[in-house]
Amino acid sequence: MEFWTGAGTVSKNRKMPTAIAAGYDAAAEGAITAEKLGFDGVSAAEHHFMYDAFMPQPLQSLAAMAAVTERVKLLTGAMLLPLYDPLEAAEQSITLDILSNGRVCMGLGMGYRPLEFNTFGTAKKTRGARLVEGMEVLRLGTSQETFSYEGKHYQYENVSLLPRPVQSPIEMYFCGGATPFGARRAGKAGLPYWLANSPTDHSEEIIKEYRRIGLETGHAPEQLKVAVFKDLCIADTMPEALELRDFMMNTFYEEHILGYGYLVDADGKNLYNPPKDHPIYQRFYNSLACVTPEMAVEEVKRHEQMGIDAIYMGNRDLVAKYILPEFK
Amino acid sequence: MKVGLSWDLDQNADPVETPVERWRSVLDEIIQADNLGFDSVWIPEGRDTAVSCPQPSMYLTGAAVKTKSIQLVAASRTVGHAHPVRIAEEVAVLDLYSQGRAGISFLSGASQQVAEQHVQEVVDFVKVAWTADEFRYRGDYLQFPSSTGDEAPRGASEPEPNSALEFVPQWEAGPVQPEFLTVTPKPHQRLPMAYIEVDEESTLEWAARQGVSPVVRADVPTEEAVERLARYRRIADDAGRSRAEVDPILERRLIIDGASDPHTLGGTSDELIKTIRQLKLVGSFRHLVWKRETSNDGQLLQFAGEIQPLLQA
Repeated sequence: MEFWTGAGTVSKNRKMPTAIAAGYDAAAEGAITAEKLGFDGVSAAEHHFMYDAFMPQPLQSLAAMAAVTERVKLLTGAMLLPLYDPLEAAEQSITLDILSNGRVCMGLGMGYRPLEFNTFGTAKKTRGARLVEGMEVLRLGTSQETFSYEGKHYQYENVSLLPRPVQSPIEMYFCGGATPFGARRAGKAGLPYWLANSPTDHSEEIIKEYRRIGLETGHAPEQLKVAVFKDLCIADTMPEALELRDFMMNTFYEEHILGYGYLVDADGKNLYNPPKDHPIYQRFYNSLACVTPEMAVEEVKRHEQMGIDAIYMGNRDLVAKYILPEFK
Repeated sequence: MKVGLSWDLDQNADPVETPVERWRSVLDEIIQADNLGFDSVWIPEGRDTAVSCPQPSMYLTGAAVKTKSIQLVAASRTVGHAHPVRIAEEVAVLDLYSQGRAGISFLSGASQQVAEQHVQEVVDFVKVAWTADEFRYRGDYLQFPSSTGDEAPRGASEPEPNSALEFVPQWEAGPVQPEFLTVTPKPHQRLPMAYIEVDEESTLEWAARQGVSPVVRADVPTEEAVERLARYRRIADDAGRSRAEVDPILERRLIIDGASDPHTLGGTSDELIKTIRQLKLVGSFRHLVWKRETSNDGQLLQFAGEIQPLLQA
């Protein structure tokens, strides 16, 4: 099982003010540190038009990290593929694959913010289909010298992308939340699946469903790779872990939840500024597991027993201190 | 006088070289150029060969963290392969990783088989995107945000002053799509340099009047190239543009102790110094870009020691 982490958040959140250019320096430094600590991958995410100057170009940011690391995988977690022409996304991934000598792994999400879809002029309701089609275009573009594709949203005829990547095709994951619907969509398409953070019991059910559908649809078991985002609030004592969760909520997640509709209801509708006793808010809050180091190790062991291929944990230094030594 | 270096990654490459090897050998030369005090590096967008670079800003972002001083210019950029928002963002990200050293140079419309106005709108848009807070843009080839309609004035516009009273921060705005929006992050510089290749007379005139820096590529014979830059300056002067706002570029092949031809500056170090100084005065440019044909040939060191100091004296 691979261990992935973030290189650092490149944004100027109103609750965590920081100099942006210094943040970019820190992201490159963060990748170096993650590699030294023994992580197998570092990631960069994507958002646009935010007051906090969130990183909009994850593959470009990873190009900086490629230049200062040698071993670690360079992950997008997640890159919002429906907001790209898939050929442009393929070219960017190939460019990074060459710069890193074959270390790119694309976590590809469908996005959720209406602001981004409306501004780029892409209908949000098409995002799921665009993600699946776009991933097929990426697979073809990075594995075949010449290809054609006829989809509902994308059509290409006799396209040859030059230069060619080091990997063929470039490794990628479908980031489709943690719902049975997302799992079935990824399984049916035979796409590797990167689950969003959720309680471990729930993740286990979703992974089972993904594999069941994938195998039923005729995909080989080795094709059905699984990665899991896991937010663990690790501290020496439970009161400290609970305090850490509140800090993470107040400084990072709440920003997404308040203004950008990070949480969605059962119909997929964005919830803006939901009350804190809203069941969906509560479910998300409780999904941020508060654990002591010993409990954290047990949590990760449970994931290992599920046979997953990679686990992403954002709490880099604490994970390196308490968890990696038990597994590496 | 500034001196930069450019490469066509896909030209003169060893046929058995992989893109990984080719890109690394150019990166090594960029690092050397940074250490020797060269002023800029130019990596062109290309998709024609096994070692071309389709995303020069990404390549240069890797170079940004390996260098300290040198300007990094994504060259020959096309407008049809990426949304203009992404072009503005990529330069801003490069500028942040390099702490203020990014630039971008566009192909003319004719060179990329698109309408001239299309390129002009993108150049105009990215400059606004780097500097304005909330804005909208209405052109024939782009609308920002995409919902911007015909009621908006042409080009960029900002909210009316009284709308400040109705301002709602993003984290309270909910699902409402704003009429005016900002592109983030902003570059580290106030305004990264935007260049355009002036291989068309109409492009040259537009660039001169708008204060966009001109580039004359190495495939134009020297005499014609310098005349083109001189013409740019005359039009810019007539339009009342300041010389300080632009950075005209003459790109040339250059061989120390080699022969000149219509596209190549050759001669001894002394002869090259005289030639370049003379061209500079005729063409009113202050930035020569040396198009590299080979790598690691020892000429960078020789140029930095023997020629560059006398161009700047």
